[in-house]
Amino acid sequence: MSVKASPGMGAALLAVVALAAVPATNIPPYYLAFLYLIFFWIAMATSWNILSGYAGYWSFGHAAFFGTGVYTSATLATKFGVPFLLTLPVAACVAALLGSAIGFVVFRLQRLRGELFALITISMTFVVATIISNTPIDGGSGVYLISVPLPEAFGSQNGTIYLLGLFMATLTIGTAWWVFRSKMGLGLFAIHDDEDVAEVKGVPTFRYKIAAFALSSGIAGAAGGVYSIYVSYVTVGETFEVTVIMYPVVMSIFGGSRHWLGPAFGAVIVTTALYGFAAGPQASLVRGGVALGLIVVVLLLPDGVMPSLQRWWRILLPGLAPRQVLPELLVPTPRATGAVLAQIAPPLLQCRDVTKTFGGVRALKGITLDVRPGEILGLVGPNGSGKSTLINVITGHFQLNAGSVTFDGTSIEGMPAHRVARLGIARSYQIPRPFNRLTVLGNVALAASFGGGVGEAEAERLASYWLTYTGLAKKAFDYPVQLNLHERKFLELARGLAARPRILLLDEVLSGLNNTEIDEALGLMRDIRDRGTTIIFVEHLMRAVVALSDRVAVLNNGALIAVGTPEETMRNPEVVSVYLGKAHAS
Amino acid sequence: MVLSKSKFSRRQVVAGLGGLAVYAAAQPAWSQAASGKPIKIGQALALTGPFAQTGLVHKIVSEYYVARLNKNGGLLGRPVEFTLYDDQSKPDVSRTLYEKLLTSDNVDLILAPYSTAPILAAMGVAQRYNKVFIQNTMGVPALATYKWHFSALVSGPEPSVSLPNKIIDAFNSTGNGPKTIAVVTSKFPSAEDMAKGMRTEAGKRGLKEVAFLEYETGTLDYGPVAARVKEADPDYMFVGCLGVEGNQLLEALSKIGYKPKRHFYLYPSPLLAAYGPADSATSLTNFEDVEPFTSSAEGTEFAKAFAVAAEAAKLPYPHVDSQAGNEYTGWQILVAAVNATKSIDDAKLADWLDKNSVDTIAGRRNFKGINHTSETDLQEIRQVQNGRWVSVFPKETATPGAKLIAP
Repeated sequence: MSVKASPGMGAALLAVVALAAVPATNIPPYYLAFLYLIFFWIAMATSWNILSGYAGYWSFGHAAFFGTGVYTSATLATKFGVPFLLTLPVAACVAALLGSAIGFVVFRLQRLRGELFALITISMTFVVATIISNTPIDGGSGVYLISVPLPEAFGSQNGTIYLLGLFMATLTIGTAWWVFRSKMGLGLFAIHDDEDVAEVKGVPTFRYKIAAFALSSGIAGAAGGVYSIYVSYVTVGETFEVTVIMYPVVMSIFGGSRHWLGPAFGAVIVTTALYGFAAGPQASLVRGGVALGLIVVVLLLPDGVMPSLQRWWRILLPGLAPRQVLPELLVPTPRATGAVLAQIAPPLLQCRDVTKTFGGVRALKGITLDVRPGEILGLVGPNGSGKSTLINVITGHFQLNAGSVTFDGTSIEGMPAHRVARLGIARSYQIPRPFNRLTVLGNVALAASFGGGVGEAEAERLASYWLTYTGLAKKAFDYPVQLNLHERKFLELARGLAARPRILLLDEVLSGLNNTEIDEALGLMRDIRDRGTTIIFVEHLMRAVVALSDRVAVLNNGALIAVGTPEETMRNPEVVSVYLGKAHAS
Repeated sequence: MVLSKSKFSRRQVVAGLGGLAVYAAAQPAWSQAASGKPIKIGQALALTGPFAQTGLVHKIVSEYYVARLNKNGGLLGRPVEFTLYDDQSKPDVSRTLYEKLLTSDNVDLILAPYSTAPILAAMGVAQRYNKVFIQNTMGVPALATYKWHFSALVSGPEPSVSLPNKIIDAFNSTGNGPKTIAVVTSKFPSAEDMAKGMRTEAGKRGLKEVAFLEYETGTLDYGPVAARVKEADPDYMFVGCLGVEGNQLLEALSKIGYKPKRHFYLYPSPLLAAYGPADSATSLTNFEDVEPFTSSAEGTEFAKAFAVAAEAAKLPYPHVDSQAGNEYTGWQILVAAVNATKSIDDAKLADWLDKNSVDTIAGRRNFKGINHTSETDLQEIRQVQNGRWVSVFPKETATPGAKLIAP
């Protein structure tokens, strides 16, 4: 991603410089301490958000990484005499390693999503706390850092701690912004919306989650290191207490977890309320107010304050809001050029004895099928015959139990779905599964970027082309929920095409469309094939199958019972018996 | 978010402080009214959070002491302006508030907060600004390495050794000492430190440990711990508790029909005595609303004043006890140093405290031990008898007529 200077960046830089100069003024050190606490919670909330807000993996283990950083710095500084500033990168690395190690195990298991991930991470907090509490790291008595030397900035330790806090907050917001704007950020948002689809569209979900977890936990570790010298006495009870777990969540929800600046906004408001009014009897009142405010925000602004402010800004000041203009079209270069003589070319895709079982159910019973380059292969069969399972196996979403799948001479069984996508295999879903919180343009650009392997700008221009091609250009900046079924089906098609596939697998793309829309879709599919893309399409509508297919393959009970031209297949007695009920030609 | 578990309503606290103010105002003015620029004294206490019940006792005492001080001519003839903040029982808040007291409110003098972690966090601030730091509730003196730290407690330099032996001595003095021990403790640093000492010293004294159980500070479910204690059925149960944790554990034990034979509570809320199942519970003390503590005129006056405030606030245990006495003692030490040096200069105060002793309502205090603690452990063992704390050990200083009840 290229970063261009902008007025916003200039203003941000000025703000950081101005804040860095604060300790040089005669401001009472208390205000430095108070601002440090704001910086601290900005770093904590924003770092939590990089994984949990962007990717939707709600972690309640941030206290584990924070605590790891706290005790790494405290131990190195007090027991080994390491200069305190040197302990901070070590604290970040140890916490990042811990996060990566947990992620390496947890992210491999698909079932450990949602509440199970949250439970595992909160368990990690207790595990780390127990280890620290019952070993010489703490031993139960806490670690006192009062005698740890710290360089003095602007003549005081407060100045140093303040600057460290400012550095952490700036670094964290910068990291969150960079991730937000990067290809990785787009991938994380896709993971948030539908991880399985993201993987199939080419997003390296495992790698991105590990990277986000490492960044998130590493920053929390460094923030913990600074916090240890701030509080000067660290105990297990205080370090791993519930507020450390919950405040980042509260702040992110309040400010807006979908926005890079949302958690920082929430941190400023919540910290000011909780720490700025900590004195006297109003403290409980303020804390009650914060809780009430959170309830109001959740009820009225479910996306948080920052995204809502952005929306209002666009409505109230449309002239100042960024213009929503479709990027200039880029005509794609297909990976395969022109229609190929399907009869004489070697198979593009070969399935050999493909077997897939789910527990005791054999969904695919040794399917052997060749798909020739440039052909349209209709895949038909009764419900439950294994059509969608075969597509899921080919695209890498399901791992097969036996047999092999070869694409253009490359064995792809066992290959992660995102790598299969990058080889040139794309698919659509029977029930559209768009990324609901990305725009229509964003949905297609993501497929172009990850599946097609192009850069951000090129991906958007390609997306413009395919949206125009499928008639969705006017909807480019809408969200998928604003589309009707016909448009959502075509969005599926556009996403598939944007990945520049060599084979496009269409799963009942015609279902639910009226006759006019079906004819329009059939025309598009012929055109797509004529541009060089091989098509496998699953369909129940026999009129379309016969009209469109070069060959038809029929599945029943997980077995391939016939394959051939539409006419041959429709007259096959077994096909007639199990699927059609009568000879199609009759 | 930490939720306050205070059982005191705001109305109760206001009523209590009102009662104290009325009491203080009703006393004769012994000296000229204070005048001139006020001397500012600041403190943060746990008014909300897990330790709020005990923190409120300290608040009542501090505000009473300041009212009494001003009534009696102030400090060095100047009125005393007291600033009190709520540290929410959290060390980071405590540290921030002491920074506020010293650099924004510009107070002249400070007194320490309640409980070990906030004390140590605040002590760092005091050290940076070279302020005398008098604390009265910290259980790990070895950590108080700041040169101008002074302890109002008489726990001695190594309470984790001296206190366990004192407890065992007390039980053995009945002629029927315990043979087995269960150690139950909060995972709070000073409690854990003391529990560790109890285990070690009990082993040395030949007690067999039948259970060692830890719980998270602020937990609300003591059922599993209670079940394990009942199963172990120790002769003596040591509870490293803070605040109302002791009450909560006893409640869980009562629910399963178990009454400890001998039981000791480390830093309980005063209201433990008002809880029925706590009968015969023991703890440590420096001051109670009974003889011999109330033998001095000031001690008697304070005990009466506190009772008035506690009644007005409808506190479950409307009597002064060790927590309140310790806070009062801390104030006495600070004021004694100021009066003796006729100064609020911290260096002079520290120098004077380093070399002198102070007579307080809880006895004479000096700071000759390590880190300006007492040279020896002079804490006494108290016991709940008929709903009141009474001193029972050593016998020489026990409440007249009271003796340790043990099976």
